[in-house]
This record gives sequence, structure tokens and C-alpha cells, in this order.
Amino acid sequence: MNQETLIGLFISVIEFGTLLYLAALGETIAEKSGVLNLGVEGMMAMGGMTAFWVGVETGNPWMALLAAMIVAALFSMIHGVAAVVMGADQVVSGLALTILGLGLAAFLGEDLVSKRPEARFESVNLGPLSDIPWLGETLFSMSALSWLAVVLGVVAWLVLTRTRAGLALRAVGESAATADAAGTSVVKIRLIAVAIGGALAGASGAHLTLALAPGWSEGTTAGRGWIAVALVIFGAWQPGRVLVGSLLFGGLIALEPRLQTFGVEVSPILLSMLPYLLTIGVLILLSVRSRNRPSVAPAAIGIAYRREER
Amino acid sequence: MADSAATPYAVELDGIWKRFPGVIANAGACLRVRPGSVHAVLGENGAGKTTLMNVLAGVYLPDEGDVRLDGEDRHFSRPADAIAAGVGMVHQEFRLIPTFTVAENVALGASPRLISRSAIEKDVAELAERFGLATVPGREVWQLSMGERQRVEILKALWRDAKVLILDEPTAVLTPAEAEELGRITSTMAADGRSIIFISHKLDEVTAFCDEATVLRGGATVAESLPVETLNGAMLAELMVGEATEVSQRRTRTAPVAEANALDVSEMWVTDVHGRNVVDGVGLTVRQGEIVGIAGVAGNGQRPLADAIAGLNSNGVGLVEVAGKDVSALPPRARNAAGLAYVPEDRIGVGLAPRMNVVENAMMRAYRDLSNGPFIDRDAAEAHAETLVEDYNVKVGQMHAPMAALSGGNLQRLLVGREIAGEPTVLVAAQPTRGLDVQGVAAIQRILLEQSASGVGILLISEDLEELFALSDRLLVMHEGRIVGEFDPDVATRSEVGAAMAGANAEADA
Amino acid sequence: MMNMRLVRRDTPLAGGQVRAFVVGLLIALLFGAVLLILSGHSPITVYSKMFDSALGSPRGWSATLTRAVPLGLAGLAVAVAGSMGMWNIGAEGQIIAGAIGGAWIARIAPELPGPVLIPAMLGAAVLGGAFLALGPALARSRLGVNEIITTLMLNEVAIRVVRYLVNGPWKDPEGNNFPIAPELPEQSALPTLFERANVGVLIAAVVVIGFGLWASRSAWGYELKIAGSSEKTAEYVGISMRAKLFTVLVLSGAIAGLAGGIELTGSSSRLVEGVANGYGFTGIIVAALALMRPSGVAAVAVALGAVQIGGEAIQTQGVPSATSNILQALILFGALTAAVFSEYRLVRSAAVPSGAAA
Repeated sequence: MNQETLIGLFISVIEFGTLLYLAALGETIAEKSGVLNLGVEGMMAMGGMTAFWVGVETGNPWMALLAAMIVAALFSMIHGVAAVVMGADQVVSGLALTILGLGLAAFLGEDLVSKRPEARFESVNLGPLSDIPWLGETLFSMSALSWLAVVLGVVAWLVLTRTRAGLALRAVGESAATADAAGTSVVKIRLIAVAIGGALAGASGAHLTLALAPGWSEGTTAGRGWIAVALVIFGAWQPGRVLVGSLLFGGLIALEPRLQTFGVEVSPILLSMLPYLLTIGVLILLSVRSRNRPSVAPAAIGIAYRREER
Repeated sequence: MADSAATPYAVELDGIWKRFPGVIANAGACLRVRPGSVHAVLGENGAGKTTLMNVLAGVYLPDEGDVRLDGEDRHFSRPADAIAAGVGMVHQEFRLIPTFTVAENVALGASPRLISRSAIEKDVAELAERFGLATVPGREVWQLSMGERQRVEILKALWRDAKVLILDEPTAVLTPAEAEELGRITSTMAADGRSIIFISHKLDEVTAFCDEATVLRGGATVAESLPVETLNGAMLAELMVGEATEVSQRRTRTAPVAEANALDVSEMWVTDVHGRNVVDGVGLTVRQGEIVGIAGVAGNGQRPLADAIAGLNSNGVGLVEVAGKDVSALPPRARNAAGLAYVPEDRIGVGLAPRMNVVENAMMRAYRDLSNGPFIDRDAAEAHAETLVEDYNVKVGQMHAPMAALSGGNLQRLLVGREIAGEPTVLVAAQPTRGLDVQGVAAIQRILLEQSASGVGILLISEDLEELFALSDRLLVMHEGRIVGEFDPDVATRSEVGAAMAGANAEADA
Repeated sequence: MMNMRLVRRDTPLAGGQVRAFVVGLLIALLFGAVLLILSGHSPITVYSKMFDSALGSPRGWSATLTRAVPLGLAGLAVAVAGSMGMWNIGAEGQIIAGAIGGAWIARIAPELPGPVLIPAMLGAAVLGGAFLALGPALARSRLGVNEIITTLMLNEVAIRVVRYLVNGPWKDPEGNNFPIAPELPEQSALPTLFERANVGVLIAAVVVIGFGLWASRSAWGYELKIAGSSEKTAEYVGISMRAKLFTVLVLSGAIAGLAGGIELTGSSSRLVEGVANGYGFTGIIVAALALMRPSGVAAVAVALGAVQIGGEAIQTQGVPSATSNILQALILFGALTAAVFSEYRLVRSAAVPSGAAA
């Protein structure tokens, strides 16, 4: 094990962490408003396909990113209309969104499979900072998307805890009827939250096809969307903890191909189960802890709201 | 108090009508509240108090009638309209988010765009102090007692600068000390020029906390703005209950009560989630063929007592004997098999499954007897349901339509009929006629009397004094989890029983 | 101000769910046609090719019915859990666990004669599926842990277990280094019924119909219905919610496991990573479209089986295989929309004018 391998590992941790955090942060916001969206994998695929496509056409990664976020946000509105406006079951609607997204991205991206990437996010050169040994080669050589992810995480945390809108969003996720009585528009807030979740899943997809593994092929999301769903629980619905979880799970993914280099005789496949098992463990711990206090999960998650009529 | 001719009323409700399918909740109700006063709205359950307040709070649109604030006509189509006009309501079920802090709950939807936690908490603390509401703004609501939660609700209304504050049976969830505290808070708010509407059916707290009282009965106002100094318990009770025919409805016992006990309960204790004793060492006996009534203001332990007798409350301990056989250790099904039938207070959602059909609901007690091996005999089940429907005159459109389509009276006839069909030794009936129309009430009462005549012991829990006086052989009064009095309905007066319900005996001792 | 709002109908439209399915199918075909035209295909040609290859011949029917087996069993698994208000999102993983169980029997006792080996493999498959559901069932019934996430997570775990097996300990030494397990013994294959269909179709039909009868006729099914309809009523009647939640989720896993066993012994000659092939997820769509009713599950499974078989056939015309997934998801969204409108109607409402509500 030498320094180069370790630096390679850290870069990879940041890359995978970014991928997971963008999607998981979006899902956190949606779930905070009381909407479970199991369509992350599909939205990610739609975003990744769009980003690569626009990148090929324009050569501009920022255009590609923007397009991916817009397309994925619009795509998430299928779930928004079905689950929030019409009150369909969130589980069914979200899963169908994943199936639809994977299918549509594969269908529309058929011709992209052989294309070479024309646009990609490179690491941001921070001048002297990037020359610092270790830190310069890892943290201060992150791609713009990684920086964006961190900034968005801080913004999300500030908005959720320090603004009227954030308070309303959390209230809608805890008790839609209470929030409604206090004059907030439940449907509007939930739709916005779902759209933000879609846009961030789209950005995550863009990171995948423009930075992490430039290119497009069917199945390129490889279940990362499900890890994002798991991360929201692992991070107990808090943007900060979700970030820590993203780096941890990202680290596990980054370790997979390097296990042998480090002389560990465990199959990397078994290692890759850890995020899911850890999440189940956390879920059980959370439920044991919440025996005598309310659960950390948004109380209204999964429950459609329709104002009572008499 | 200011000259009423010069000062318009803070609130005027004039000729309010509100009908729901099958029920007239308000029939021309009126209410006038002076600014800066605490005004009691009194009435029995079902008198239309809550509906009238929901009209004022914008929850319901009235079918007819006027709502005026400070002399100005108002039309609220949503709660938000009423809030904007300065009307705040503290509902019986609190609308708070348990995981939010006090300050967050108070400020929700009514804060600056950017929130500084400390600033909001400071503002809330100041507001609380101004009105003498003890609270910790940074504490999460789930950690608070019911009384503290109520103060958060009041703070919410004050934060939105409510000029009129409606408290819907605010003392129902409070300890006596908390209730006294609330009295101080309401007078502080009134002194600040706000008007408080205090809904109650407890006589003592009205005289203690309020300036004037309006009494509702059957959805209409029967007495308006009586100064509380002129009130006495007997007079209020008469207004609330009506000068109804006291003796004529009293049933005449045809068969003597047997000597054998149908139900023995002793040393029954039930604790709630906060560890409070909601049933406090209750003991009682029902003899075969006897109807024992339990009177009491809602929430004094009647419901947990009934659940515990039926074996449904896991926090209950105590001895329960059915016809001399100890069933204390048995689960609900075995207690039922031992001869204990139970008509729960929540007929829909506990006693019946509304989404299942009539046949399925009818066989809930008997399905195992109606089975061949693992399979239910459908013809037998159908026949069982048809017998119930015929015997108890249940009007069903279709035997295979969901229960929910039936009216309240028919639902209850089926439920009571099903419980009786097992030929029980004792029937525990909790609020069996609540919310039913006149015929429905009569039908259920007739069934209870028939069962009593045929030897079934009946424990009748009701908030309807008239019903209890008419049906009971003995009348027990429950207050704060204890049996505080026993009366002979042939001798006792309503005011005596009413006083016991309000805890008067306890006060007299003190 | 004019705005639109949904108002509940006094009585839902009759035949709502069948109508909803048909409407969903039409919406899906319409959107699919747009996609096909945009990508330069003729929808009429593609759709007729799909129909012909799935339902136009005995051979097509045999393929469709064979596909309906895992879809129907997965759908039934989801529906069984759904009858208690639970979501078993883990059918995909339970199918894999079932296949692993079956393959394990074939590994340890490859010389058993077919009539013994096949039931043993299917039995092990049932146990495998039940085993994977055991943890979520315990967590849900004892600790109240939401089963949606636990079953979902175990999907990913199961996929990695089978990946590990076929890449490692169970890897076929003669498999040219492909990640596949060795071929199953010949006598483990389910007997053929007709064309490409095998006895699995009969087994699945018996299980779905049998469970439907059992649920609607037995005292157990009646208790299940009460427990699923109202928890408080169940307690009042004396039914243990804990026991019901546990049994039902384990049973759900067992049924999905059976699907894995039938896939293994019927359709594939060896254990491969993709044995579940998304059937567990499609099963959720099946159950949702069937409103959690066993009778509906069978019909919807055949319909979606036809869409999948048709979708696979049109690849030869250069149409992406993803088409059938798109169609399936669109059918669901279309049906969800149609179902809402059979219960609600859209009305234009002005803000209520003063005192107009008389």
C-alpha cells in the first residue's frame, strides 16, 4: 500500500460520495415534506442520460447539468401528480417511476451508447490550495459538482432550519392537517419538494455520466438510487448526517475494487452489502430508541393529504 | 364592564343553523360575547356547542345565520379567514407537531421569512410571560404535559393576535391544579381586552372562571348571557337537561333482580401513557338482571374502565369475575366466551369494521362456531346475519354492502344484537345511544330493558343523565377515575348526581 | 377565483378497476406510440408484432403464461402482505433467495430422481423466500420497524449474495469464466406442459387460486380481513395483530420464493445473477393493478406477461427492449389516474361567495 493508492482511494470516495449525496439530499428534502419517492433510481437514469446527451450535443457540462436537473425535476412530477395531487400510494407510484425512468432512459439513450463524451466535469484547480500535499490532491481537486453538492447541503440545512419555508416544509411532513390549519399549502410545498428531489437526482445522474464514469449505457446507475434511499434513513433525515453517510457508503463503494490491493481476502461483493445491512441496523436502532419518544422519521411520510370535506 | 349600548359585541352569532346528514347540529343558535369577558357556553354532549364554535372559527360554513365581529358581518370559508379576522380556537384535540419545539409550533406559518431560533424563542417567551403562561420555548412538544400543550395552543392564537379565543372543553384534559392555572390565564387575557369563549359542561368551573354564560340545548340557545352570579347548579342543570318528564320515562321493573352476581370488578387500576391512574382502584358489582348505570363527565375513566373489564386495555390490572368465574387472566376472546359481551364506545372502528360487509360484521363473535374445519360455512354465516337483521330490525340495503353505508342507528342495532346473540351473562355497554336519533335511542334502550328482564346483567356507561335515570336500577358516579357516589334513581335528584359528577363531594370534604 | 378540485363521488363508478386498467392500457399505448414515432418506428407494426408474438399463437401463449408465473406469484406475494396494509418490496430478493435455496438442494443431492428432487428444490425455494422475509417480519411485528425499507434493502443484499455465489464458491469451473453456476441435473427440469410452457404454470395457478379461496373462505382468511381492515376491531375480537403481521409477511416471502424455485427449475438451466429479472418489482405493479385481490393478480399477471413477451419479440425489429418496461409503468400511472376519477370527479369551483351555501 503506497501513498498513490491511498490518494486514489480518497478521490474515489469523494466522487462516489458526491454521487450518493446529491441524490440522497434530494430524497431527504422530499421525505421531509412527507413524500417517499422510490423513483430515485429512475430519476437518476433520466438525469444521467439527459446530461450525457446534452453534453454530446453542446460540449458544455454546465448546460448538460442544467438540462439534467430540469428534465429529472419534470420527470419527478409524474410522481408528484400521482402521489401528491391525486393521492395515489407513494410506494407504488415511486416504484413505477423507477421502472419508467430506467425504461425511458434506455429507450431514448439507445443511440448514445457508442458516443464519446464531449463534455465532462474536471477537477477545479484552486491554485495554491491544490498544491498542498494530500489535501491538494484530494479535497482541493474535487470537481465542481462535488463543491456544488457540499454547498447545496449547507443551503438545504439552513433553509430547513432557519426559514419560514423550511419550517412549513417540515410541518407538512409531520402533520399535513396541522400545517394546513396554519395556512400553508400542503400540495404546493410537497410538489416543490418532490421537484427539488428530482432535480438533485438528475444532478447526481449528471455527475455519473459526466464526471465519475463518462459515457452512457443502460443500467449505468447500477442500483445507486437505492443506496440514496437508504442513506436518507441512515442519516436520520438530516442533511449533515446524510453527508457523513454518503462519504461512508461512498467509501465502501470505492474500496470494492481496491480490497485486494490492500491485501484483504474478503470478496468485494460481500463488502458491497454493508450499506444495506447498516441501514437496516440503523432503522432498528431508531425504532428501539423511539419507544418512548417520537420517531425521527417525518410522521406524515407516505400519507396522502386531502382536506376533509363534510 | 363597559356600557353595552355603546360597545358593540366582540362576537355575535345570530340564528345559526347547521345541518349534517341525519343530524341538525345547530337550530338557530345565538351567542353574544362582550369584549374583555370570559363567556361560558354550556350544554350537554350533542347540544351543538362544538359545531357552533366551528362555525365561528371558519371550519364550517353555517347553513343560515350571521356571524359578526365587533358589529361587522363576517363570512369565513376557511379557518385561515377566521384566524386573519382575529378568531383563535383551541380544539379538544391539539393541533401541534410533537417533534417541533414550542416556539416552532407557535411561529409555524406566522413568522418572518428568516428565522433565528433564539429570536423566536425570546419572542415566544415574552408573549408567554405577558399572559402568565409558563412554558419553555425551546422544549419539544412531545415532552410536555397536556396542560403545557394547551398553553402552546393558546400561545399560537395569541401569537396571531387573536381577539377572540375559543377554548373547547379546555379542562377535560387538565388536572385540577392545571385547570385553576387556566382560570388565571383566561382572566389575564380578558383584562387585556380579549374575549374568551369557554365551552364546558362542568358547572363549578363556569362559576369560578366566567363572567356570563349561554346555555345550548338541542342545537338552540335556551338561555343567553346569564351573569354567572345569578346561577346556581340546580338551575343550570335544569337548563342543560331540560324540564323533561322526570318520572314518566322511568321504567317499571317487572322481574325482581336476582341475587347472583353477573359481574364483579374489584381493585381495578388503569394507567395511561403518562403513568397517571385513569382508573383508580374501582370496584363494582352487577347482579343478574340488574342495570347498573355509570354517570360521569367525559374523560373521567369510564372508557378505560370498560376496556379493562373487556380485557382490551393492557395497562389495566384488577379482578374481573363473570358469574363468579375469574376471567382476569383471560384474553378478550375467552372473556367473551365466558359470558362477557361488550358494546364499545367507538362502535365504528372498534366494535365494527366499517369496510367489511354486514354478514362479516355479524359473525365476528360466532365465526369459529360457524366453521367446518378451517372453512367458514357461508350459508350458516348468512343465516346468522339474517337472524340478527330480522330480530333487531336492522335496515340494510344489501347484506354484502360495506357496513359504512348503514346509518348510526342500524349500525348500533346490529352491534348490540351481535353481542346479545351469544347469550351473555353480562353486557358492558359504553355510550350505546350516543349520537343516535330518537327512534334509534328508543330501540337500543328497549333492547337493554328486554335483556335485563331476561336476566342479563348490564353495566351501562353513559353521559346522558336522562337515560341513566330512566334505565338504571342503581346509579354510580365516576369522577377522576373513582366511583364517588352511588344513588338510587328512584330517590335521587339530578342536581345531586350532577354535583357528584362535578366532584362536589370531594370539595365538600376538603 | 375559479379553480379545479376533486370531489368524492357519492358512489364510485361501477367496474372501476377493470375500466381503470383498460384506460391505463390505452394511455400507455398512446404514449408508447408517440415514443415509437419519435424514434422512427411505426406503432402499428410494432404493436401488432407484439400482440402476435405474445398472444397470436399457442407458442406465444405458452411464453406469455410462462412469464405470468413469476409475475403472478410475485404479485400474489405483494398482495398477501398488502391485505394487512404492508408493502413487501422485497419480492425481488425473495425470488433470488428461493432460487438459491433450490440450487443448493440440486448441489447437495444431484442424484435424486426428478419426482423427489423437484419438490425438494421447490420446498427449499419456499423456505429461502420465507427466510429472507423473516427479519423484516420479526422487526415489523416485534419492534414496529417499517417493512418497506427493510425488504427493499434485502433485495440489494440478495442480489449480492447470488452474485457472490456465481462469481465464487458456486462458479461453474467449465463455464468459460462466466459468472454462472453449473448446469442443474437434467431431471430437475419441470415437465413441459405445452410448447414452451411447463408445469410451473399449473403450480402457480393452483397457488394463486388456492390462496384466493383460502383467504375468502377460511376462518384464517376472515381474521386476516378484519386485521387488515381495522387494527382496533381485530384486538376487540381477540385476534393477535403481532401474529398476523408476522405470519403474513413470512408467507409473502415464501410465495415469492416459490416463484424463484419455479424460475430455476422451469425456465433456466442454472442459477444466474439475473434470475429475478425485475419480476419482484413488476409484482408490485401487478398487485397494485389488481387492488391486492388474488383473482385480479392472475389476470393482470397474464396481461403484463404478454406485454413483456411482446416487448422482447420486437427487439428483432430494432426497437429497444426497454419499451415493455415503459409500457408497464405507463399502464400503472394511467390506471392510477383512471382509478382516482372513478372515485372522484373534477369540478370547477369558484371561491365560495358570501352566504351562498344554503
